[in-house]
Amino acid sequence: MHDKLIQKLEILSDAAKYDASCASGTAGKRKAGKTDKTGIGSLTGGTGICHSFTPDGRCVSLLKILMTNYCIYDCHYCINRVSSSVQRARFTVKETVELTLNFYKRNYIEGLFLSSGIVGSPDLTMESMVRIAKSLRIDHGFKGYIHLKTIPNASPELQAEAGLYADRLSINVEMPTQLSLNKYAPEKDLGAIHSSMNTLKDKIAEHKVDKTHTGKRPPRFAPGGQSTQMIIGADGSNDKVILGASVQLYSQQKLRRVYYSAFSPIPDASEVLPLKPAPLVREHRLYQADWLLRFYGFTLDEIVHDDMLDMDHDPKLAWALRNRHVFPIDLNKADKLMLLRVPGLGARTVQKILAIRRYTKLSWMDLTKMRLPLQKLKPFITVSDYSPAIHLLDGNNFELQFKQPKQFELFGA
Amino acid sequence: MRTITITSVPGYNEWRIASRECLAQSIPPENIIWQSSESIQDDLFGHTEEVMPAPKEQVKHSIPKSVLMLFKYALCHQDASRFALCYRVLWRVIFENKNLIQLKTDEDILQLNTLAKAVKRDAYKMSAFLRFREVALDGQEHFIAWYEPEHFSLEVKLDFFQTRFKNMRWSILTPYRAAHWDTEKLVLEDNPDPSVCPDEDRIEKYWLTYYTNIFNPARIKKSAMLSSMPKKYWKNMPETALIDDMIRNSDARARKMITDGNKR
Ligand code: SF4
Repeated sequence: MHDKLIQKLEILSDAAKYDASCASGTAGKRKAGKTDKTGIGSLTGGTGICHSFTPDGRCVSLLKILMTNYCIYDCHYCINRVSSSVQRARFTVKETVELTLNFYKRNYIEGLFLSSGIVGSPDLTMESMVRIAKSLRIDHGFKGYIHLKTIPNASPELQAEAGLYADRLSINVEMPTQLSLNKYAPEKDLGAIHSSMNTLKDKIAEHKVDKTHTGKRPPRFAPGGQSTQMIIGADGSNDKVILGASVQLYSQQKLRRVYYSAFSPIPDASEVLPLKPAPLVREHRLYQADWLLRFYGFTLDEIVHDDMLDMDHDPKLAWALRNRHVFPIDLNKADKLMLLRVPGLGARTVQKILAIRRYTKLSWMDLTKMRLPLQKLKPFITVSDYSPAIHLLDGNNFELQFKQPKQFELFGA
Repeated sequence: MRTITITSVPGYNEWRIASRECLAQSIPPENIIWQSSESIQDDLFGHTEEVMPAPKEQVKHSIPKSVLMLFKYALCHQDASRFALCYRVLWRVIFENKNLIQLKTDEDILQLNTLAKAVKRDAYKMSAFLRFREVALDGQEHFIAWYEPEHFSLEVKLDFFQTRFKNMRWSILTPYRAAHWDTEKLVLEDNPDPSVCPDEDRIEKYWLTYYTNIFNPARIKKSAMLSSMPKKYWKNMPETALIDDMIRNSDARARKMITDGNKR
């Protein structure tokens, strides 16, 4: 059966797949009230449920589509740029709303992640996107998750209105420096992107207060905050520059998340782009480093020793290898920050260790029972009945022990 | 020796009532045999009336809420030893160490956490991988899902489904029990007939289209997919029928993206 909507969906989900920020973040709790007879959906408080996984290992949590892939801009890394010969399509407001609701009712998704190419003008585009979010919220009482990728250069009024309906807003910075933007996204301006982020940051903060002086709760405004994405490996920026940009975004713009997307070849690519994809391991190491910077108390200089991260070892292990003089660490005595620096101990394990320590001394047996990665931990720790043989920490062959680092150990902990 | 037979699944309420009585009579764990009968009856948290007479001398034991939550999850596990384990932990929390639950390496606590964790995971997967299909029932939209949890996870997730799909009419069928929701009332039915679940749905083809197009063929990571979505869940997820083809064609698709790029 020939179905126009199927065709549009093919084109507009295909175009959205290059965006890495797929997960739905936390945005508090929400549900239809007792007397609400039409509303649908809920936010459970945690991160969104992964309703499926695709063969690339990614979680399917949201209906991630472009409203349209027509675009008047010419960003080289983007399949939708005006000079690309890709097939074009556009969803109507009604089609997008109905698709979202129909998917939601079947328990396929947590909500909608909508971005768009720029049609007509930034404002016209942004206005249609806001209409979709508004219709979901107001006409249909939709309580699920909405993430809008706001259009750079759209008016502050429209950005503000978007925040009333969306749980999260994002603007992609795309490249860590203006120099790279000039080359790869000539119409985009880092200053303008930052000032949009600033406006949103202030709005989000304004609406965060519990009650205004009049005693009324302010309306919700993008309770899930802002996020952004950088493309890795299309330009020549090194890891220190990239992570430096992230640190700034986290501290100054109060972003919730920076996503890294290893450049992957796109159909009909522009010739300024490299022909080869950036290695996925680089993207993975950047996520690990980002994590350590935000939650493990590491500084940028500690994490990136040279200009690039170590691709062979996860950044925490790499730090430990460079700083072996601080080891072994006594798991029964070390403070939390120090425990967090031990390769093989995740944040949750550290919590557990601290809890157990209040009642009893940790022994090697306890570590086995907690199913910790003992092989990895061995050279770095002491417990009541164990300390590492001196040769484990010494000698030039130290690194050889970690020749085949397991992937994903950081997030698995 | 006392033998207690739990006659319902998951059996939380029966266990709670029996445990309270045993505690009141100071029966130590090693003197109780817990067994469960095959028969299946209604047993929802807090929905069944208590039939046991209250014990005469009421000794109030305060049990931390975190412990009770662990029991709730652990008791939804299939493992027949769950009743004995929970009573033993209850006994030890009261008479041995009120912080027992913090001793993460204690054998009983390890086992309790293992059970609770398995149930939590199973219940999470149910809220994630369950798929509704739409039918018209008495002229109204009605959504039906068939799902086979590993444990008694329907009980854990009823709140979630009632909240999220409050204004929808739906039925969730599992091999041991079904829950029917008409936007106001929840009705439970034991051993439901799976054949009432429809074979198709008018929106499913859009979902399949979306699923095929949203993935990036240049980055196959099958093992990552399988660890989050093991094959045992595939049966009732329509999109999983596409996976083999998607992987088989990914190379060609990815290469095409690159050669297309080289043409210019
Ligand atoms: S503005 Fe967005 S959609 Fe348009 S070419 Fe640039 S990145 Fe692509």
